Amino acid sequence: MSAPVAEDRTPAGPPTSVSIASGPLVGPVLRRVVGMLAARADLPLDRLDDAILVADLIAARAPAHVRDDEVRVDFQPGDRCLDLVIGPLRAGGGQALITDAAVPGVGNVIEQLADELDVRPEGEDEFLHVRLTYDG
Amino acid sequence: MMTATVADVHLSLPARAENVAVVRHVMGAFGEALALPRRRLEDVRLAVTEACTNVVRHAYDEPDGLMEITVHPREDRLEVVVADHGRGIGPSVDRAGPGLGLPMMATLCDELEIDRTVDSGSRVAMSFSRGMA
Repeated sequence: MSAPVAEDRTPAGPPTSVSIASGPLVGPVLRRVVGMLAARADLPLDRLDDAILVADLIAARAPAHVRDDEVRVDFQPGDRCLDLVIGPLRAGGGQALITDAAVPGVGNVIEQLADELDVRPEGEDEFLHVRLTYDG
Repeated sequence: MMTATVADVHLSLPARAENVAVVRHVMGAFGEALALPRRRLEDVRLAVTEACTNVVRHAYDEPDGLMEITVHPREDRLEVVVADHGRGIGPSVDRAGPGLGLPMMATLCDELEIDRTVDSGSRVAMSFSRGMA
């Protein structure tokens, strides 16, 4: 899957990075960081809920696809925009993580909620980029 | 002496005031996941907030320096390290004499280690028992 980055809405500066050993802390930590940064990006409440749903899915599915038994996510809040980069993932892990986000009867949650979604190879690893925006 | 093992959680954030709130909020995840007593969790949050605030106020002259927070849950305790790559801990520029931050952190945690090196940053390591102190 590939989608071009349409617009640069992210500010310069280092991202916020979170690395969590696979286990019970991944979900609680990720959802808190995502919630705070989505609020800072001035996303409205419904998009903030979307962002937390994406975080929960990453927490549930990413441990099966990460390189080193550790889930790492880089966040960059922008102007009504939140970018997440999940990885390093194993080769093929980016698409596998997207596929795993399918919920019976609902469809693929990440594909439905993300405004941009693409897998970026980097050496032997992959990184999944997810962008959530609000243009209302 | 606190042990160095694989970190369970590591956060790296720009050293800005608004990110202190992010760290404080994340510490709530440990209270939830580890079933920390409420008062103990408040001790952890207050001490970590103080350590992060020190980084924001004192570590860097330039914007976008990083503060690094590492959390190791252990069987009987929670270890938290707050580090920066700036000038290290020093006196406040806006007040005379030492502040209350370090004594307060020492009171709130069970073990406190402070490493400071000019030009290579500071490292504050705190250990909290998972029951009440």
